[in-house]
Formats: sequence, C-alpha cells, structure tokens
Amino acid sequence: MTTTSFESEIDAYIAGLSRYGVALSAAEIRRIAHTLGRLPSETELYAFDAQWSEHCSYKSSRHHLRRLPTDGPTVMQGPAEDAGILHLGEWQGERYGIVIAHESHNHPSQVVPFEGAATGIGGIVRDVLCMGAQVIAVADPLRFGRLEDAHCRYVAQGVVDGIAAYGNAIGVPNIGGDVYIDESFDDNVLVNVVALGLVKESEIIHSKAPKGSVGWDIVLVGKATDRSGFGGASFSSVTLDEDDAEANKGAVQVPDPFLKNVIIRASYRVFEELRAHGIEAGFKDLGAGGMAGCTLELVSSGGYGAIVDLDKAPTGQPNLPPAVIAIGETQERLAWVVPPSFTPELLRIYNEEFSLPEISRGACAAVIGVVTEEPFYVARFAGEEVMRVPTRFLTDGVRYNRPYTIALPDVEPFADFDARTRDRRVAKLDRATVENILAHRDVCSRAPIYTRFDSVVRGTTAIPAGEADAGVIVPIPGAPLAVALSVDGNPRYGAIDAMRAAELAVCESARNVAAVGARPVGMTDCLNFGDPTDPKHLGEFVAAVDGLAYAARRLGTPFVSGNVSLYNQSKAGRAISPSPIVACVGTIPNIAKSATFAIKRSGSAVHFVGMPQPNFGGSVYADICGFTSANLPTVDYDEVAREIDLMIEAFDEGVVLAAHDISDGGAITALCEMAFASLDRNRAGFQVDTSAFPDKHAHDEAIFYGEAGGFIVEVTDSTAFARLADRHRVFAPLIARTTDDATLRYNDLAFDLFDLRETWAAPLRDFYAEARV
Amino acid sequence: MSVAVMVFPGTNSEDETLRAVKAAGLDGRLVHWSADPASVRGFDAYILPGGFAYEDRIRAGAVAAHDRLMDVVIEGAQSGKLVLGICNGAQVLLETGLVPGTGPIRRPTAAFAPNGNGGRFRSVRVYARPVGARARSPFLAALGDAPIPMWASHGDGRLVASHAELQTIESGGHIAFVYSDEAGITSDAVIPNGSALGVAGLVNARGNVLAIMPHPERDGWVFQHRDGPEKLAAMNDGDAMLAPSGGSVIFSAFAQAMNAGVR
Repeated sequence: MTTTSFESEIDAYIAGLSRYGVALSAAEIRRIAHTLGRLPSETELYAFDAQWSEHCSYKSSRHHLRRLPTDGPTVMQGPAEDAGILHLGEWQGERYGIVIAHESHNHPSQVVPFEGAATGIGGIVRDVLCMGAQVIAVADPLRFGRLEDAHCRYVAQGVVDGIAAYGNAIGVPNIGGDVYIDESFDDNVLVNVVALGLVKESEIIHSKAPKGSVGWDIVLVGKATDRSGFGGASFSSVTLDEDDAEANKGAVQVPDPFLKNVIIRASYRVFEELRAHGIEAGFKDLGAGGMAGCTLELVSSGGYGAIVDLDKAPTGQPNLPPAVIAIGETQERLAWVVPPSFTPELLRIYNEEFSLPEISRGACAAVIGVVTEEPFYVARFAGEEVMRVPTRFLTDGVRYNRPYTIALPDVEPFADFDARTRDRRVAKLDRATVENILAHRDVCSRAPIYTRFDSVVRGTTAIPAGEADAGVIVPIPGAPLAVALSVDGNPRYGAIDAMRAAELAVCESARNVAAVGARPVGMTDCLNFGDPTDPKHLGEFVAAVDGLAYAARRLGTPFVSGNVSLYNQSKAGRAISPSPIVACVGTIPNIAKSATFAIKRSGSAVHFVGMPQPNFGGSVYADICGFTSANLPTVDYDEVAREIDLMIEAFDEGVVLAAHDISDGGAITALCEMAFASLDRNRAGFQVDTSAFPDKHAHDEAIFYGEAGGFIVEVTDSTAFARLADRHRVFAPLIARTTDDATLRYNDLAFDLFDLRETWAAPLRDFYAEARV
Repeated sequence: MSVAVMVFPGTNSEDETLRAVKAAGLDGRLVHWSADPASVRGFDAYILPGGFAYEDRIRAGAVAAHDRLMDVVIEGAQSGKLVLGICNGAQVLLETGLVPGTGPIRRPTAAFAPNGNGGRFRSVRVYARPVGARARSPFLAALGDAPIPMWASHGDGRLVASHAELQTIESGGHIAFVYSDEAGITSDAVIPNGSALGVAGLVNARGNVLAIMPHPERDGWVFQHRDGPEKLAAMNDGDAMLAPSGGSVIFSAFAQAMNAGVR
C-alpha cells in the first residue's frame, strides 16, 4: 500500500466514523493509524476512545495538575495509583495509612440520578479496596440545581436515594459531605464522592503487575459483563443536553451493592491469604475503560504486556461483541494479577467460600489472560486477534496544551469599597436577617439528607455527619487513633474568582478538621469545570489549580489523589460555577481529645478565633440582602496556620469543649448551630458581648455575617485559652458566655433558639418530606 | 461459651457485632453462609447481625429466614438456646416466626415493615427502654430499667400485625423494648419509623429469642455516645473514651444469661 492510499483510507475511515459514536478527533485517529501502521479494529477504536478520553487521560488538564504539591512527611503514597495514602499513626508496632480517593459521577447522575449516584459510590469504594485496604468511610459533596425546578428536584431526590441505597447496603459509613444549591447546577448536577480506607503500610497492594510477574494469571472478578456502561468514559467527556440524555442512558452503569458487599468481604479474605503466605499481587478496579483499560494499566505500570482472551470473560448476555467485553463498564468488577500457584485459592475464595455465582447470575472470578514480557496489549476473541497495541501508546494517550484566559475578578475599587463598608457599619444584628440566613438554601439543616445515609455502620464512628464540621472515625478497634474527614468548595465563591475559591476551599477544609481537634495531613481534589476547549473555562480551571497549589503549599497539606471532571456544561452553553472541591483528612492521636460542636455546659466562655473581615463577596449575607460584591474574603496563610495550631494545642490541653468553624452564614450561624445541637439536652443559649473586639472590628456585620473564616470555641477556661491564643499570636476575643435559657441575647435583642432552630430545620425537611430534625 | 455471629450475603454489621460479643467476654465467631450446617450446631447461642441479607428480596429478612443455616438456628432456639437478632437479624427472626412466636415456624404473624416516612431508610440516635417482658427472660432481666442508647438505622422497622396479633403481642408480654427519650418517655416524636405501640424489640414466650430493630453495637462504647455527662467526663481520657458503655449492656446481659446456663 502506498502512503497516499493509506492516507485516503484513513480519511475514508474518519468520514465513516460518526456511526461509532466515538469522541476521538480526526487528528487523534490519524495518530493512531500512523502508529499502528493500519486502521484500528473496532475493539481498538473503542479502547483508544476510552483511554484517550478526558476522563481517563486528563489530556487537557494533566500538565496543569503537575503544579499541585504531592509530597510531604505525611504522605505514604502520592497520586500515582487509584488512591493516595496518608500516614495515620502507629499502633502495636505497625504503621497505619489512610487511603483516600475522590471521584465525580456528575454526568451519569444528571441522566439517571439514582444509578449515577449509586455507581459513583461503587467506583470509589473499589479504588480504595484495591490498595489492599479496608473501606472505612465515604462522604459526598453534592451540588444541586434550584429545587424550585421540577427536574432539579427529581435529580436531587434521585441522587440522595441512590447514595442511600448503595452506601447503606455495602456497609461503609457515610460520615460527611456537603450540599450547595445553585442555579449553575440546573443542567449539571455535581455528585462527587470521597472514600477512605485503612491499611497497614506493610500490607499495601499496588495497582500494578509486580516485578517478575511474566506468566502470572490475570483474573477478572465480579459481575458478568453486559452491555450496561458501554461508552462511559467518553460519555463523561462530552457536554450534555436534554436530547442526548435519553441516548446516553445506556452509558450509565447498573449498580449492584448486594454483590459489592460480598466482593468486598471476599477480597478482605484474599488479602488475609496473600499476607499469610507472603505473596505479592497486583489488584485494580475496573472503572472507566472497562476490562481492557484496567488490565492494560495493571500490566503497563509494571512495564509488561498482556494477552487476554475475551471469550474467557464471564458474560451476562449472549452474543456480546468483543468491543463491549473489552471496554464496557459493567459495574462491580476488579482484576488481579497473581502467581499461578495462588490462582486456585483465589478462585476458591470468590467462587466457593463467598459463592459469587450464587449471589448474582454469572458473577465469578475467572482467569482471562496472562502477563507477558512484550509490552503489547493483545486481546483475542473467537480465535482472532482483535487488539494488538503498544501498551504505552495506549496508556500515555495524548496531551493538549489548550489556550486559556484567566479573567481577573471584578473587585471593587478600594475607595468605593471602603465607603460602602463605612455606611454599612450601622447594619446591626437583627432578627429578620438571622432568620433569612438560617433558612438560606446553603445554610439550613442538612439532616433530612444525611439521616438517609448510614453514618455508623462498622461501629467505628465517633462523630457522625451533622454533629461537627468533620466526621470522625476510630478505625482501629481498641486504638485511640482517629481520622477526621471534611469536604468543601463554595460555588458562590467559584462564580466570582476560581483561584480564591480554591484557596478558600483548602483553608476551610483544613479548618473543619481542626475544629474537631485533628491535624490536617493531606487532601484530595475534584475539579469540576466546564468545557476545556473554551479558553474561559480552561482559564478558570488553571486558576483554581494555582489556588489549590498555593494554599496547599502554604498549609503543608499535599494533594495525594484527585479527579478532574470537565464538560460540565449543557449544549446551550450554560456551564457550572467553577467548582474546585477539596477533601481534607485530619488525624487525631487520641480520640479523647476531640469534640462535637454542640455546646457542652452553661456558663462557659465562648471565643471568636480569627479576624472578622467586611468582605461579603459570595456570602450568604450578600445573597439574602440582594447586593453583589466581588470582594471575597482574603487569606492570610500565616494567620490560618496559627489558628489551626492554636485549635489543636487547645484540644490537646483539654481546654476546648466545642468548636465550630465560621463559614457559610458567618459566626451567627456557627453560634446558632452550636446551640441547636444542645437545645434539647441543655437548653443552651448565649449572652453575646462584642466589647472585646477592638473598635475597627466592632461592627456587627463583619463579626456576625462575615465569612472570612476562623472558629467559634467553647472553652473550659477563658484565661488559659486566651494565654494560648497570645502565644500563637492569634486574635481570639471573648464573644459570649453560654446560658441555659435557650435564648441568644445581645444588647437588647433576645432570640428564642427553639424558634430559630425550626426556621433552620424546615426548608430541606419539607423538601425531603422528613418528620424530625 | 461460644456464640455464632451469622453472616449471610448482604449482612454488613458482623464485625462490630462480633467486637461487642467479645467485649462481653464471650467466645464469638463469624459463621459464613457457605459453612457446613453440622459445624454450626455446636454453638451455644446465635446472633443475627444487621445488614441486607439476600438483598432483602421479597421482604426484609424473608429469604434469609429460609437459608439452610437458619434451620440450625431455629432448631437451637427451639431447644432453648439464646438467639438475638439485631436490625436485619430482627427482621429475619420475625420472618422465621420465632418471634413473637405466636404462630408456626416460617409463618410470620408480624413484620418489621417499611418505615412510616414512605419506606425511606433513616439513621438516627434513639433510646430503647426495656419493658414488661423481663420477668420470664433472664436475658432481659439482666438489663436495668434505664433506656439504652442505640442507633435506629433502617428502612423497614415499623412493626405491623393484625389488630388481634398486636393485642396478643402486648398482653402476652412480647414487647421487649419500646422507643423512648432519655428519660424513658415514649411519644410519637421519638419513634423513628411509626412502629406500632412504639415497639423497638420483641421477645418470644420462652424469653430466649429476642429481636431488636435499633443497633446497640453502634452506641456500645463511650466514644460512640451522643454528648452528655458520660462522654464529657471521658474527654481527655483515652481509656475511658474507648470503654464499653450504653448499648454494650445488651451483650453483657446476653453473656450473663448464657453463663447462668439459660437454654
């Protein structure tokens, strides 16, 4: 064949591609054909489509992500594999790590909310499991469209139902998460999910074929392959509109938490056996890109190749084409690389001891291939070779350095800002404003959502969702070591300035774990943005990465894992608010040095930690007052770090009774929530007094409604706490004393806290038709 | 004294239940569904933990009640061995007919049906107060009067039965626990699921088979408690924070009854 005829053959192939529904560009197809020296087979075409999708290859984002700090003394493993690992502590001579992974399931959840959200949990749990870890917790950051809209309501309810149905059944506690409601999510719901695992450092399993594994078996475990989830990876990398939604439903996977429950437990048994016999193995979850994508990455990261027989993969439907078996994203599957001597035991555990074939039709563990020296991924089907591709070519994919523009936020000139601030000094705390804040969609009680999730299964939960700023678990029975997890990312900030929003998300998540006495040790991020081929949206992404990177460096909290979700945009062009969402892991050496945010006693001193700022950009206060401002809170990293150090030391010294971070809705929200949690038991109330604030900060607006961060802290001993604050050079004036009359009093104001609690509890309770707080 | 903690496909609370059993000084072991029934007969007592056994197909607990290992459990219950079902385990026990035990085996006379909120799963802190049935059950007699803190975490916990059966349950002393507040007062506000008569747990006539919907093992250590004097006192004291407490009395009463030779 002459070059010209090959070129025209490629052109003809590209022209006929529309019927395959792949997202590969013409240039990408040409590159594939030139490297292979031939046109790709149908199976290869879909394999490239999946592996080179934005979802799998991070082709527009990867070089930006390199700016994130990923290393530090707390890091056991950085972002190389499905999940990162942070150091928890030592117990009985073993070093323990906390595995963390963070994913999005935005596109599927928009199309079929229940299944989309459920399979999001399913996928993240496998990412953690395949590190050899026990899965110990999950948390969901959710971003819903306006609940006044019928379709948004359907999505918001389906997502919560899906998370409940899946997460509750597999037996992993859901210890946190957050919910924001914003019109920018009307066409694109965000369903992120974070999972934590526990692993001894000596027992980490890697997602790669071990050294010297040529000739080892590749074993596929789980649900029988079917047509569900075919095309999922590339589906996640396109923009959505209503017409596509129906057509895309086939790309969404079908969840089976019942089977997953059993696979998790069977895999724990396999871990035990591997450890007992000192056998090394590779283990990886099947996610985007299906069986070929998973086994390809397993062998490729070990520097090997594979020969896989697609006929040997258990199938749940007859006559599946090889491309579906290779690339389809049927849920509840994992792949092992094990020495042949261990294979019979592996098969026995899954197929007999845990009887997978009896749990779900066609489910089992089956040998499907072998690791090879030659770095090619070869797949055979019905006696024919349907795939032969250099592994690195397929895994490394393509890179794009797309153009972007970073718009500077529209900050008010200082003179205007100052004048307006001066005018507003007269705005005092008042009942109507407080009620409006507490009833605001981003402040009101989330109990109707989190009580749908099991936050206490496994019996290790010390602080479940809703009782503090972070969920806390005690993962090793008998050991005092504890882990705190918080997720953050405010879309109202993102809409104003993606970079500052990212910085504030890092600071708030770090503060949230410090509010339960935990030291922030590391983070993950899920970067949810619009179309990266639009320079404006890519600019928002780049700015957010810069913000995350800078903040994480300054606070010493590396990013050990993460995820990018682009194309969160309807074809009408409506993109989501830039949404860098951050999860922070904190560690507590002794669970007895932690606390919920509920007020504990009457007569305690309550301090305000931090510096109030009159910057109301993106605040709940601005939203309810109906003014716009682009002035987001500013960040003084030294101050943030000192505040966190103060909190941890104060917990350690036993001075803290309760702490709540100041964020959405400001300090007044924090105070109210601390009282609400303690109303029934203690009739907690406050006598508030701002006279300890120096004059320049002594205006109600900044103190009570500002969202610049900091903490409200109930302490055992005001003098001791003030002394600690001085030592850390932190501004921490007394703001209140606790009372027992269920009333918040300030000057001549007196708010009944039972009434305010009802205002705060009602909005979502009514939406989710729940009966109680 | 050996206790089998039964694991069916879909069970999810076996590890923490086993920990609670061991903390009560018992020799607890997990027994999987694939175990040989003969090897399961030797246990002195059985506990059915929470979860979604067999995916709760048909009805919560319905399929597990027909598992071949349940033949062994039913046999043991009939011979007087102690059997405790928690949450999904309680649903299974009602499906076996062992509890309340007013009808034949595997012909349930009552059920824990979908919650009154439209069958939605709900996970909330509750108190379960031991009530009247204690006289004939040494297991229950070992409990005090105080409401016991637990978690209700279920979608199907609302006791339903015919009017006549509910009367039998009440007059026959089959109510083992009712939901209450911390002071022991029952009102609609503290019943998390609309359960008839506020029932949180039922017991058979002989007093050896107990079904409770809320989870004592999820509030069985000080660190799991809600804020209150006991947790506050344990602040800054690691050993106190990790000590058994609250819901753990269910397991210590179970151990006490076993050691007293109740069969």
